[in-house]
Amino acid sequence: MDLTGAFGARSAAVGPCREPPGLESLHIGGGDGGFTALLELPPTQAVELLHFTDPSLSSSSQAAAAAVAGIGLDVSPPPPLHAYGALTFPSNEALMERAARFSVMANEQQQQQNGNVSGETTTTSSVPSNSDRVKTEPGETDSSQRLENNRCGKRKELDKKVKGSTKKKSKSSEENEKLPYVHVRARRGQATDSHSLAERARREKINARMKLLQELVPGCDKIQGTALVLDEIINHVQSLQRQVEMLSMRLAAVNPRIDFNFDTLLASENGSLMDGSFSGTAMQLAWPHQVTETEQSFHHRQLQQLPLPPQQWPYDGLNQPAWGREGDQDQGNGHSSLMVGSASLHPNQVKMEL
Amino acid sequence: MGSGNNPIYTGVPEKDVFALHFLQTLSNLRTQIPFSSPDKTKDRVKKIKKAAYVSMARAAGGTNRLWSRSLLHQAAKRNNKNVRLSRRRKRVTWPRRNRRDPVEEPAAERLRNLVPGGGAMETSKLMEETAHYIKCLSMQVKVMQCLVDGLSPK
Repeated sequence: MDLTGAFGARSAAVGPCREPPGLESLHIGGGDGGFTALLELPPTQAVELLHFTDPSLSSSSQAAAAAVAGIGLDVSPPPPLHAYGALTFPSNEALMERAARFSVMANEQQQQQNGNVSGETTTTSSVPSNSDRVKTEPGETDSSQRLENNRCGKRKELDKKVKGSTKKKSKSSEENEKLPYVHVRARRGQATDSHSLAERARREKINARMKLLQELVPGCDKIQGTALVLDEIINHVQSLQRQVEMLSMRLAAVNPRIDFNFDTLLASENGSLMDGSFSGTAMQLAWPHQVTETEQSFHHRQLQQLPLPPQQWPYDGLNQPAWGREGDQDQGNGHSSLMVGSASLHPNQVKMEL
Repeated sequence: MGSGNNPIYTGVPEKDVFALHFLQTLSNLRTQIPFSSPDKTKDRVKKIKKAAYVSMARAAGGTNRLWSRSLLHQAAKRNNKNVRLSRRRKRVTWPRRNRRDPVEEPAAERLRNLVPGGGAMETSKLMEETAHYIKCLSMQVKVMQCLVDGLSPK
């Protein structure tokens, strides 16, 4: 009771609930009502803390609050409490809310007095995981991520002091792509000026893309070292370009003239390309385009009275793919063979011919 | 493909898109050379190769990707009737020379020479473009292989 009265007076003096002196006084006075006193210290803000919960943790928070309130009288705050209180409370709202619920002090106690209170074990055992989660996996919840970003500066210093061992990078390369600002956590023992940070961010970007390229190029996984991987990638690109050139030479050899009849190609490709890749709509889209084009070319030919150029026979391979290929070779020879051979010509074409 | 988690987008259209574009470009070749078709192999080969690259650039996303954009610009520069490109975008890359120079990367020099439009990109962007370029190249190679197999006499 004295405790509460004292704190009632103090709370007026103490501003935000994150002020260390207030907590230290709590510690000094701290006897029985460790938890409840803590909760009452800044009553309004404690309430605010309790209400400020993640949607994902809301259910657990209520259960935990009940547990804490019930158990609060049993434990006594340990000596290293103030060290924790001074540092963890000012840092993060999410942490604070969890501390208010479970109380990091309870965690400390747990480590010292094992199995002090059975009910607490379940709630407090999740505290280290929670705090770790908050620090190491920033993408977990939206609010924690937001908070982290807001308090990034403070966290840097605090984390260096407190949690040296569990320092991991909070920013992954994926986060880099999504957020407008680059939030990098300085690693332990590394420089924190903006230049090196930017350098590190850039290097990570490049490494991520290098990994992507490694997956793409076959046989690059086993190679160690970026220089060799780059060499392999360059070789791969060069080989692909050489393949394109070779295939274009072969294509040119296959067709003695550059008179690719769209339809012969389509007809002949029916089997080879139709392994589920050629969609019917794509072909339908292409055909009307070809139809109009060849009609125009026919008009031109008729007007100019030129001898039939070899490539003006679009509908040769319409229904007879095997014949179409041979027909390409014989085209230049004469019309008659084609007229005989083409069983079903397009009606427009027939009209023009006749 | 196991690239679902990748925020770097390097998606490539299906095979038939490439095939369609290639065949269209080839038929454009046909109508472009009306009558005086020189039977020299080299010319033909060059034309087919250029057609292959242009069609690949179109199929891969037209002017959305940097390498395809610069490819199409290169092709249009030679006054090729094959390639029609809107002259509005005269520049392939906006002037960002201040970005490139301070960041030195001697290893990526060869890559820049290989990938079209690579001379004006930052290294990380260059690697993105390379990944996309490799995917498109392999798709184009597949399409051409199918064509050659289909057309060659058995």
